[in-house]
Amino acid sequence: MITGTGIVKTFKQRGNVLAGREVRALRGVDFAIPKGGAASFIGESGCGKTTLGRIIAGLESYDEGEVVIDGTAMSGLKPKQRQPHFRKIQMIHQDPYSALNPTRTVHQTLFAPLSLRAKQTGRSKGWIEERAAEVLSLVGLDPGSVLARYPHQLSGGMRQRVVIARALTVDPEMLVADEAVSMIDVSLRLGILALLKDLRERLGVSVLFITHDVATARYIGDDGELYVIYRGQVVERGAVDTVIADPVHPYTQSLLSAIPVLHGLERPGEQPVVPLSSLDATGDDTGCLFASRCPFRGERCDERPLLQVSEGFPQEHACFYPERRSVIARPLSEV
Amino acid sequence: MAEQAPGVRIGGLTVVYKTPAGELPAVRDVSLTLEPGSITGIVGESGSGKSTLALSLLNAVQPPGRISAGSVEIDGLGNVAALKGEELRKARGRHIGYVFQAAQNSLNPLKTVGKQLLDLGRSHGVEDLRGLVRDAKELLGRMGLDGARVLDSHQHELSGGMRQRVGIMLALVLNAHLVVLDEPTTALDMITQANILKIVREVHAERGLTTLVITHDIGVVAEVADRLAVMYGGRLVEQGPTREVLGSPSHPYTKGLINAIPRLVGDIDEARALPGRPPTLATVPKQGCVFRERCALRMDVCDTVDPEAVAHGPRIVACHAVTVKEHA
Repeated sequence: MITGTGIVKTFKQRGNVLAGREVRALRGVDFAIPKGGAASFIGESGCGKTTLGRIIAGLESYDEGEVVIDGTAMSGLKPKQRQPHFRKIQMIHQDPYSALNPTRTVHQTLFAPLSLRAKQTGRSKGWIEERAAEVLSLVGLDPGSVLARYPHQLSGGMRQRVVIARALTVDPEMLVADEAVSMIDVSLRLGILALLKDLRERLGVSVLFITHDVATARYIGDDGELYVIYRGQVVERGAVDTVIADPVHPYTQSLLSAIPVLHGLERPGEQPVVPLSSLDATGDDTGCLFASRCPFRGERCDERPLLQVSEGFPQEHACFYPERRSVIARPLSEV
Repeated sequence: MAEQAPGVRIGGLTVVYKTPAGELPAVRDVSLTLEPGSITGIVGESGSGKSTLALSLLNAVQPPGRISAGSVEIDGLGNVAALKGEELRKARGRHIGYVFQAAQNSLNPLKTVGKQLLDLGRSHGVEDLRGLVRDAKELLGRMGLDGARVLDSHQHELSGGMRQRVGIMLALVLNAHLVVLDEPTTALDMITQANILKIVREVHAERGLTTLVITHDIGVVAEVADRLAVMYGGRLVEQGPTREVLGSPSHPYTKGLINAIPRLVGDIDEARALPGRPPTLATVPKQGCVFRERCALRMDVCDTVDPEAVAHGPRIVACHAVTVKEHA
């Protein structure tokens, strides 16, 4: 179980004319990802979803709040003491082309973390070879044919599988997949998504999926939670299918309305929501963060709404005027 | 050239790349017609030859690649594949606008957008540069940007969506009526993507263009294109009216591709990955159907004979199994 409460992160610009200007990446975010569970963060680029993922994976510090891994609070610990905790959380990056060292074969890539692991647990060299073959089989690769290959000899999909195999060498409890399929060919994407889902089911690894493609979030964890993040604040949070089918925050509704409609197979939603302007991350910081773009702005929006539950809606939302709107495309076959 | 949307007829086009293993075709015997005033979308995965095909429209395939057979007839320009030197340079930009893949990185980081616009004007012998700037501002304004501010900006001062719009402006400002957009929304957010696609549709209609959109994303084509063409392994495997192709795909690859899209509603497990992986230049089969390795309908004939593109009404499909079924 990995939880976070009130995570705040502010980046300070350095070394140019903007020096000293602050960017509020996260403004007090709470999250909880149960063991073996799934969660997805969605939002536009710059919303803070990647920063949050990096904080959870221990790759980024935070200014306020607390991350708790399996009951241990991280903020009181020295970096060395944190390491074994964050080892349980492994990151899968977007670009499998730059995530692998081009001068190392797959065997060398897997050998390094495995030999460290063998040393820690007092296992033999034979175990390393066995385990390397095992993790490759787990990700659907044939060890015999890929072990001796260099990254440039593999396709994008195979490389991403090698990256996942490398993450599995340290027996992680959670994988953080940041846009892990956006650079993979369309016909192979689903294979990688299915693999992550399969690892969840077979190994009990929890998966945190960071994406701007809502439908893929659904594929990874239709039993998990969806967090919609806007300018560093979670504006809607709930079961994946609830948030997708019945979104109540106007920002979530804008995101879902923007998904292309497969004309010929689907008909568009009846109440699409279009934001009034494009994202201005440096815009007004008082009141509701979405108010300047919101077509449904009301009197109360000069205040900042907090994420909360309100009557009649199963999900949490940060909006003073929540309302269900039919925004997503529906299959033509569904009458 | 007439101030109206031109038609384009690509006939039997083959583009080869020279490799240590000999000349390999990236695009093989492709025939495609772009009706005047239409938006056509070409969908394909990496290595399918879609970008090479788009570059052929400008006769801009770079060595070690070359157009080895076929023609690209554009109304008012003739066979572009036969144009050379100065004639070709003038046709590009003036008659054919090209919005490059990753427009985010195709601008010069050292020059303001305005300076690049003037460079473009001078290289095409535009005399009224003030008029050009005025047109550019108008186009940018049309796309929801502050024209004067954008022309004064360097690329790093613009967001991804703004740069993409600058790319579209540069492609259209010389009054080209044939526009090629290569991956116009890759690396953009959903909301920005929706905006750009809306702009593409509106500008297309307002200026009377013939538009070709190249993408790996079926959703993008579904949103903008009248006609959809699917490429695989350098071959055009299926083409037809977008809604028809999406609603009832014929070619097994098109079917697989559509089935592999995760949806927002319904049973998520209905989405299926295609088995195998797309071929590269080196692994494309030399004879027979390019898709057979991944195909559920594979027959003996698929191993030896390349299926011909056969028209079934407005739909053109290159598949032995489909042809057999239609004639049965």
